[in-house]
Amino acid sequence: MNRYLLFLFALLLGGPAFSQKFFTQDAKVKFLSETPIEKIDATNNSGTIVLDPAAGRVECKVLIKNFLFEKALMQEHFNENYMESTTYPNATFKGNVTNPGEVSFTKDGTYTAKLSGTMSMHGVEKPADIVGKITVKNGVISVHSDFAVAPADYNIPIPSVVTDKIAKSVKVTVDGTLKPMNK
Amino acid sequence: MKRILWILLGIAFLAGAYGVYLYNKPHAKMEKARVDEQVEAQALYAAFETDEAAANTRFLGKVVAVTGQVSEVTPTDDGGLKVTLSAGDFGVSCELDPLTQHARTSFTAGETVTFKGNCTGYNLSVQLARCVELK
Repeated sequence: MNRYLLFLFALLLGGPAFSQKFFTQDAKVKFLSETPIEKIDATNNSGTIVLDPAAGRVECKVLIKNFLFEKALMQEHFNENYMESTTYPNATFKGNVTNPGEVSFTKDGTYTAKLSGTMSMHGVEKPADIVGKITVKNGVISVHSDFAVAPADYNIPIPSVVTDKIAKSVKVTVDGTLKPMNK
Repeated sequence: MKRILWILLGIAFLAGAYGVYLYNKPHAKMEKARVDEQVEAQALYAAFETDEAAANTRFLGKVVAVTGQVSEVTPTDDGGLKVTLSAGDFGVSCELDPLTQHARTSFTAGETVTFKGNCTGYNLSVQLARCVELK
């Protein structure tokens, strides 16, 4: 009987904290396309990441028009010709942590999280596996991830005159510090 | 014949110079951009929350002047600033234009401000990029 009471007590105490979601709307998302001819990079300071530790669920979204390039012409071509951002305004990743036993969201430390899910951009959805680093310190959760995206996988049209200037595989970096979601 | 060659060379030079100009063309100055839509923060947020597709058609990629009450000011990693205006659950997020010299970069929660910027869409909050304050 005492064991059941203890379990119930632990559930009541631990339940709300465990179901707490974390999020940021200020994740920095950068991409870099590098070829011997041209280096193209852009930054977006408004990526959203929502983490549900209890479910091991992660959802990320970026607005394509929020990427800022150094050169206006590149930004114009990126939005109008390649990403067609008026038709496809965002890119998303939704996935689950596949190694939950190796990641603790409540204990200070740095963990490697493996995520498996679906990446969606330019109107195309594809399965995607991403590895991220999660740092927990004094209750604050920070995430970092590097991965590569091939424009061809998402039917992003690259005109033949610029194929040598745009990398076949574009490097993407995501950094964010998550706070409790109380909304 | 020689004259035609010179004319062709001249045209090629001008075309090349125009190409270089286009390649290095700076971003348009936001402080001089024409406002396409003028709206209150609450109304802008409600438009996206109610029907995102319709709101995208109306606002996405447009220069929007939005007025609202400051709820949060967040510095960005690269020295920039985001000012969130109260609206719905997550508000309207206005990221100050990194290419503009702003008259001020200090905002107080509760004050009413108007920003104009490029509406980039709905991502929990409604987001405006390259914002400048309108007086």
